[in-house]
Amino acid sequence: MSTPNGSGLRGSAAIVGVGTAGLGEAPGFNAMDIQALAVREALDDAGLQLSDVDGVFCANMSHTFPVISTIEYLGIQPRWIDGTNTGGSSFVAYAMAASLALQAGLCDVALICYGATLRSGAGRMVPANEQPTYEVPHKPRYPMTAYAMSAARHMSQFGTTREQLAEVAVSARLWAQKNPEAFELGPLSIEDVLGSRMVMEPLTVRDCCLLTDGAGAVVMTRADQARDLKEKPAYFLGGGTASYNRAVSEMPDLTSTAARDSGARAFAMAGMKPSDMTILQLYDAFTINVILFLEDLGFCGKGEGGAFVSGGRIAPGGDLPVNTNGGGLSFCHPGMYGVFTLIEATRQLRGAAGERQAGEVETVLCHGNGITLSHQATAIFGTDATL
Amino acid sequence: MASLPKAGPDKAFQEHVSDGRLWLQYCDDCGEAVFMPRVLCPHCSSLSLDWRPVSGNGTVHTLTVLHQRSKPGQPERQNHAIVLVDLDEGPRMMSRLPEVAPEDIRIGMRVKARIEGKDGERAVVFDPQESDQ
Repeated sequence: MSTPNGSGLRGSAAIVGVGTAGLGEAPGFNAMDIQALAVREALDDAGLQLSDVDGVFCANMSHTFPVISTIEYLGIQPRWIDGTNTGGSSFVAYAMAASLALQAGLCDVALICYGATLRSGAGRMVPANEQPTYEVPHKPRYPMTAYAMSAARHMSQFGTTREQLAEVAVSARLWAQKNPEAFELGPLSIEDVLGSRMVMEPLTVRDCCLLTDGAGAVVMTRADQARDLKEKPAYFLGGGTASYNRAVSEMPDLTSTAARDSGARAFAMAGMKPSDMTILQLYDAFTINVILFLEDLGFCGKGEGGAFVSGGRIAPGGDLPVNTNGGGLSFCHPGMYGVFTLIEATRQLRGAAGERQAGEVETVLCHGNGITLSHQATAIFGTDATL
Repeated sequence: MASLPKAGPDKAFQEHVSDGRLWLQYCDDCGEAVFMPRVLCPHCSSLSLDWRPVSGNGTVHTLTVLHQRSKPGQPERQNHAIVLVDLDEGPRMMSRLPEVAPEDIRIGMRVKARIEGKDGERAVVFDPQESDQ
C-alpha cells in the first residue's frame, strides 16, 4: 500500500542485534572470516540463529559478488538478497531496503553486514577498478581528491578554515578516547592536525579517515517480533537516499551534496526535523564531510558548518554529539564505514555505550556517504518512546 | 533496435581534438553544451548531439595539490596539482595546468585549454590566460 513519503515504513522494523569483529588489525584473516564473526555476534546479541536469517544485504570492495560469497560462507540460503552497491553509504540505505523487505514479508530476519581487511591485506585503500574516463588522465588520487576539492571550494566560497576542519578531527578523537575499541586513542589538538603531514591540500593525514580492518553486522526484524527479543529495539523511523553523479567533476555544486535530498526524505518519512535528533552518526571519511552533512541535513545553514563545529559543539559535552564512537577518523574505517553508524546508533539508543553514552538518547540520525560524494543515504532510528 | 551514431562518443572526442582544439558536443534540441561525451543529452534526453570547436576559455573552480612522499634514496617527488575548470560554454572538467607551479594556481584564475598527449589518448589541459599571468 502506498503511503505519503513512505511513512508506512515508520516504526515497522527495528535493529535487534549488532556485532563487530576484527576492528583495527586482523592479520591472517580475510574479509569473509571477520564478517562471519561479526554476524555471529549480532545474532547472539539478538538471541537469533543463523538459520533464522532469510534476508541478506551486503556490499564490499573485495568481492565481485559480495552477497553470493557471503551466503556461501555462512551456509545459509536466504529468500531475499540485496547487493546494491553505492559505496560506503550502502549499509545505511540497506536499513530502509530491509525495512521494506520485512514489511512486504519477503523476509523475516534481515542481516546487514560488511567486512574488510584492507590494513593487513592490501595495506592501502583499494580503489574501484573502474574510474571516470575523463578524470583518470589527470592522475587524481581516489577518493581523496574529490573531498579535497570540495574542502578547497568550501574554504574559498564560505571562508571555512583549516582550524574548523581540524575541530572535526579533534572532536572525533575526544569521543574515541571514551571508546576502548577505538583504533586511535592518543591526544590530538587542533595544532597537531594542522601540523601533521599534508596529503592532499587542504587535507592533512589527520583530516583523513583511518585505514583499518574491521567487520560489522546488524540484524533487523519487524517491530512486533523485535519487542519479544533480548535487547531494546532501535526502531527505524525514516530513511532516504539520493545521488546526482559518480565523478566529482560531474557534481552540480562542490559544496552541496545529495544529502539535502536524502535527509529531507528521511525527515519526511519520520515526521521529524533536525532539532528532534538527540545525536548524529555522520560518515566522516574526511573532516569536510561532517561540515557538509551538518549543513545539507539542516543542522545549520549552507556555509555555516565550520563555525557550527567550533568550540567543541559536536565533541563530548557539546550541544550536539556527533560520531560518539570516534567515527571513521579515530574509531575504525575499513574502506566502507556505513554499517558502523547503525551499530553505534543502536548501542546509544539502548543506553549501552559505556563511558561514551551521550545521556538519554531518544533519536539518532545515521548518514552514509558513498564513493566520491556520489551517493547519500540517511536513516533515523528511535526508542519505543518515539513510535 | 536503436540505431548507432557514426562513432562512439569517446572515439569521436579523440578524433575531433586531434586538431589541437577543444571540441564539445552541443544538443540540437536544448542548445546545452555537453561534457563528458555521451550518446544522449543529459539535460533533455535528445539523441541529436553535434560536435563543435569551442573557445577553450575557462575559470579554475577548485583545486587540490597532492603531496607525495619520496622513497629513501630516490629523487624528491613533485607535488601534483589537479583542478576543476568551468568552461565558458558551461561544462566543468577535471584537468591540470602543466606549466604552472602548484602554489601559483588560484581559484578564479582564467585559463585556456590545450590538447596534450598521443593519438587516441589525448587529454585536455590548461594554460593561464595572458591577462591572468
